[in-house]
Formats: sequence, structure tokens, C-alpha cells
Amino acid sequence: MTRQDFLARLRAGVRGLPPAAIEDIIGDYQAHFTEGAAAGRDEATVAQALGDPDRLARELKAQASLNRWEVERNPSAAANAVFAVLGLGAIDILILLPIVLWIIGTLFAMALVAVVCFAAGAAMMVTGPFVIHGGPIAALILAGLGLIAVAACIGSLTAVGSILCTHALVWYGRLHLRLLKPALDPQGAAA
Amino acid sequence: MAEAVQVQLKKGVLELCVLALLSKSDAYGYDLASRLAQGIEMGEGTIYPLMRRLQGDGLVETYLVESAAGPPRKYYKLSNAGRERFAAQKAEWTHFSTAVNAILGGAQ
Repeated sequence: MTRQDFLARLRAGVRGLPPAAIEDIIGDYQAHFTEGAAAGRDEATVAQALGDPDRLARELKAQASLNRWEVERNPSAAANAVFAVLGLGAIDILILLPIVLWIIGTLFAMALVAVVCFAAGAAMMVTGPFVIHGGPIAALILAGLGLIAVAACIGSLTAVGSILCTHALVWYGRLHLRLLKPALDPQGAAA
Repeated sequence: MAEAVQVQLKKGVLELCVLALLSKSDAYGYDLASRLAQGIEMGEGTIYPLMRRLQGDGLVETYLVESAAGPPRKYYKLSNAGRERFAAQKAEWTHFSTAVNAILGGAQ
């Protein structure tokens, strides 16, 4: 592999990171080739010694995603971190998948219940007094409000649950990443 | 089998080795990579993800130094937190390896 091939594959692999970070990373490896050339090694030897650029890119990307999740606690950062860790193969997906699916299913069902409760409560509060003639208006409005409160409660539980689950996954990922991170074998033969 | 054990061992100590090298003197990436590659046969490329992590964790800092040939070199130096981490990890390693050696010696 030539210097150009290596850098192109690395650059393709880290696409999506902030431009400044990408330039920083590419700069590190460019400097490495330059130093290698100064030491009298040819490009192919240096590239060989550096290891697989795709794997290095995955590691760099996973690391950046985990760091971003630590800084910005939002759903997109969470999704990024989860996918990056999964992409790294840091988590044994076959073992984890049933658990993760079950948790995601539960959280999804809770979110659905919250939405339905909220809609039902709102409908009861707003249209109830008109639809049910002669009904106890105050009671209907209060019942509607109550349903909305229940919905908000379930909704926030779901949010807290999702955050905790992401935390757990990221923690698990980090734990494995810490061991995986120095992929010492140039060819990834450890896998 | 022997290979798998080696890989696991190397993974565990790479960070410690980098901290140790930097505790002796500041160094740039290529220098670190080639010294580690010689010593423990690691892929040279893995030094950069590791350095980015150490930097992110606040254990190392960087500065640029003009080099005689080519662009300026990025040097890494230990921060105070890095020095503390090195001392703690070194103590842990010494303790652990002493215990393992004692057991290995006893097994002969």
C-alpha cells in the first residue's frame, strides 16, 4: 500500500468526524510517513507497520463518538456512540442482542403508552364537555388532566430509562474498548 | 495460545509503556511508535488513537517543535495528571508482576 492509499482509506474511514479532528488525525499519519521516509523506510514498509487503516479509522471514530456522548447528552450523540461501539465489534452482539432488543422494545412500548395516554387525556379534557352532554364537566376535565399527568410521568420514566441504558452500553463499550484500543497486532490478527 | 496470551498482555501494558517513555522525556509520535514497536512488537499505527485518548483524558499535552527537515514535530509531554496516573499504574504493575513471578517461580 502506498502512502496515498493508506491516507485515502483512513480519511474515508473517519468521514463524519469534525473537520479539525480529521485534519489532526491525517496530519499525525502524514508526519509518520514523512519521518519514516527520513529514516530510509519506503512507503509500503511504513504502511505495513502502521496496520490496517480501516481498523484504525474505526477506533478513532468510536473514540470520538464516545467522547461526544460524554459532552453532549442528546439522542443523536447516544445513537452515534452506540453504533460506533457496535461497529468496532467491541460488544458481542449475539450475546447482547436479545437483551438490547428486549430493553428497546420495553422502552418503545412505554413511549407509545405515554403518547396514547396523553392524546386520550387531551381529547377527554377538550372535547369531553361537548360530546357528553350533561356530563360532569369538571370531572371530565380533571380526568383528562390526570391522564396527561400519567402520560408525562411515563414519558419521563422512559427518557430516564433510555439514558440509563445508553450509559450502561457506553460503559460496557468503554470497558471493552480499553482492552481493544491498542490493537497491537498490525493485521488485527487478535480478532 | 502463546500468541493470544502475548496480545492480551501487550494490550494491557501499552498505556503504561507510553506513560513510562514520556516520564523519561517528551517525545513525538514516530519516535514513540518506533521505540514501542521495537520493544513490544505492536502495530505502529495504534499509537495515535492511544495518544488521542490520553490527550482527551488530560494525561498528556502537545506542543510543536520546528524540525531540521520537514514540518514541525508534534511533541507529547505528561501533564501532572499523567504523572500521577503513571505512578499509580506503575505501582499496580509492580505489585501484580511480583505476585505473578512469585507464583511462576513456585511452579518450577
